[in-house]
Amino acid sequence: MRLPIFAATGSLGWLIVAIAATVIWALPLVLNDPFFILVLQSLAYLYIAAIGVDILVGWTGQISLGHAGLYAVGAYTSALLATKAGFPFWIGAPLGVIAAGIAGVVLALPSLRAKGPYLAMVTLAFGFMVEVTANRWDFTGGPMGIMAIPGPTLPSGAEMNATQYFWLIGGTALLVQMLAANLYHSRVGRTLFALQGSEVAAETLGINVYAWKVVGFVLSSACAGLGGVFFAHQNGFINSDTFVFGLSVQMLTSVLMGGTGTLLGPLVGSVILNLIPTVFAHLHEYHLYIYGGIILVTIIFLPKGIVGSLLLLRPIRRLLSKTNEGVPDASILADLGRSTGMTLSARGLSKHFGGIRALNNVDLDITPGTVHGLIGPNGSGKSTFVNVLTGIYRPTAGSVEIAGHQIAGASPHLMARMGVTRTFQSIRLFGDLTVLDNVMVGFHLGLRRGFFAHLLQTRGAVDEEAALRAKALALLAFVGIADRANDLAQNLSYGQQRLLEIARALAARPKLLLLDEPAAGVNPTELNHLATIIGQIKAAGVTLIVIEHHMELIMGISDTISVLDFGEKIAEGTAASVRADPKVIEAYLGAPSESMDA
Amino acid sequence: MDPIFVKIWQAVISGLSIGSIYALIAQGYYVTFITTATLNFGQGEFLMIGALVGLTCYVSLGLPFPMALAIAVVVTGLMGILLERVAIRPVIRHVLSHSWVLSTVAISIILKNAAVNVWGPEQMKFPSPFGDQVLKIGSAGIFPQELFIIVCAISTVLLVQLFLKKSLLGKALMAVANNRNAAAVVGIDVKRMVILAFMLSSALAGLGGILISPVTFAWAYMGTVPGIKAFAAAIFGGLENPIGILIGGLVIGLLEQLFGVINSNLKEGVTFLFILVMLAFRPTGLMGRRTIDKV
Repeated sequence: MRLPIFAATGSLGWLIVAIAATVIWALPLVLNDPFFILVLQSLAYLYIAAIGVDILVGWTGQISLGHAGLYAVGAYTSALLATKAGFPFWIGAPLGVIAAGIAGVVLALPSLRAKGPYLAMVTLAFGFMVEVTANRWDFTGGPMGIMAIPGPTLPSGAEMNATQYFWLIGGTALLVQMLAANLYHSRVGRTLFALQGSEVAAETLGINVYAWKVVGFVLSSACAGLGGVFFAHQNGFINSDTFVFGLSVQMLTSVLMGGTGTLLGPLVGSVILNLIPTVFAHLHEYHLYIYGGIILVTIIFLPKGIVGSLLLLRPIRRLLSKTNEGVPDASILADLGRSTGMTLSARGLSKHFGGIRALNNVDLDITPGTVHGLIGPNGSGKSTFVNVLTGIYRPTAGSVEIAGHQIAGASPHLMARMGVTRTFQSIRLFGDLTVLDNVMVGFHLGLRRGFFAHLLQTRGAVDEEAALRAKALALLAFVGIADRANDLAQNLSYGQQRLLEIARALAARPKLLLLDEPAAGVNPTELNHLATIIGQIKAAGVTLIVIEHHMELIMGISDTISVLDFGEKIAEGTAASVRADPKVIEAYLGAPSESMDA
Repeated sequence: MDPIFVKIWQAVISGLSIGSIYALIAQGYYVTFITTATLNFGQGEFLMIGALVGLTCYVSLGLPFPMALAIAVVVTGLMGILLERVAIRPVIRHVLSHSWVLSTVAISIILKNAAVNVWGPEQMKFPSPFGDQVLKIGSAGIFPQELFIIVCAISTVLLVQLFLKKSLLGKALMAVANNRNAAAVVGIDVKRMVILAFMLSSALAGLGGILISPVTFAWAYMGTVPGIKAFAAAIFGGLENPIGILIGGLVIGLLEQLFGVINSNLKEGVTFLFILVMLAFRPTGLMGRRTIDKV
């Protein structure tokens, strides 16, 4: 769940950071007990790892039952570098994090296309592989482990004591949280959440879904690895007994309990869950019952976790919701893709699904700057045609040329780069994001500031976001839903969701925009509004292909109409000529009965 | 016989026997996946329960083996019903679409704890009803239990397939698997079929447990790894291809044992590596159906 809350930049944000830093400084001094200081250290590095889990599970929407493996890679790398190669902590630790990041890429590869239980199994298998390797490989010491791991040294040469080590871990945790918050509110977080919402839609907006999934995995594993590094140097000893499936479950549970996809969820969840063994030390025998019970109860009754459920409460949302008082920047409307030269020719285009010929040898030419209607009975291949044009399906045969380039088989995000984007017949919004954020995702291809600018929230990144927000508001005003900017996309009415999809697609500055049944389920008032909007988009210079069943609308707005039936083009021409064409009438209404005059 | 051939021959038999157990467990995955698009991530723990209940019946209570086997299977079947009620039904139409993964994992954790509390954490010997005498075929030795496993497990898999394809009840189950709403419309009690699916799935795991423990040990932690390896078998066939799953189980079992001949450390890791590589290239399984989503 991603609400624009806690975007506490400016003085409030720094105040919170100052308070947190003070708490971190004061805690070990107040508690003053070596056991509790160790507990605090553990809380801190498990919290860092939990942030990592949330980036993968909460932001990117993947599952991970094997995070202990990433944690282990960080721990072992740093420990081995320290003991076998004599690297000081300050060098070995970052290398451990990098190693974990690389392991994250390795984990990402089989995870890219896997879904649901298959994905869960990939992560499970990964975790077990790491565990088995740690257990069986002489190099890692197996169950005997690695001993005499030195802790970090101060400039004076002395090793850090427990309190100082906690300050290091706690301070790092605070830093990681701040950086995570920066990413959360930036395009990075938004893109990862978009993947969760609809990979297909994200791809058509120019997002390279595979690459971004890998980004999610790398960020996640770097955090997990960092947690592991701190763990390794805590007690001077690690062995393979730690990095078991149970640890992965523990990490996942802490994030679930806190609330996936929220900024504070990992903190709340990991603190509570990791305090439980300390508080209930006498219940150690039953600790698996407790974990299992917590997962079950959380999943069934509190699926959004503690923080997530709290965020659902109206008063809290109102309190924390950022009001978007930005001034809309209407210059975007003049800036929509000028499609001169954007000719499209399809020749002999076919798409077969096994024995079904969804498209059969279709030739089509689109003139730039026009509205080209595409009609036909259900199942005639209209959506298939659009899917092939936008790269979602690979054509079985035939070619498509856009502005002189052969593009058949290009992926959707490449098509988006070329200026082709679309809306969907079954609405594919990023439901958990706000209306404004949905449009902001559409700006993906036009973003200039890179990852590090957003990580550190540089002036350039902040300015760019503000500028985009203004443009997004303008697009929302253009389609008529600016008043809903801060609502979650899934809470909009059906008609409004359709308009949002259009606004989002326009954000991608398409030269060719394909609308797949934009009027489906829309009432007459909304219909007129839609026709007006389409006219305005055309006036801005965008070429449109519109699939529709609503005859009045399509006849009214189209310059040319092509008719498909059973995957073949049966007619083409102006609205009037198509309306009178006997083949078209037959396709829709059937052949005239011969026995009429009997 | 050349000692290396003896080793390979023994590895083949062990591979087929453990492989047929994987196939048995995996068939449990298949049954629930086709009916509810979920599977029990704690299936391995049900294998463990079957083994330990069987152990108690056979060794502590001294019951004859067939009775112990029957009781183990029935108990795990009943637990499958409980699993469906507690971990599947509440989350099946849920906000998070993978809720059932986590709820079944939760159940498996609870079961592990329960097992440790009841039976303790140590590995326990399960005497084979066929005795510990090694059958000599040439200079290779195999345990009669292993042959029994192969015969019993494979015939169970085939029997279940027969049940699903030929019997009226089985066809009703397949109908629910195919199209839940259509099945309900023709009068099939969908809820009952789902319960049946989970009962069957868990009973299969329980059977696997009691079959395999005389060959390995019986203990509270015995289930997790076979559960995952059985999934590798399911992936091989693709979760909707029962014969593929059977072949997959045998192939995985063989791969493991044969790799073990080369290096026992490799044995552990090879299946997991296989899962990772397989899913990287074929996200729906080696022999699985490739589907294209309608957009």
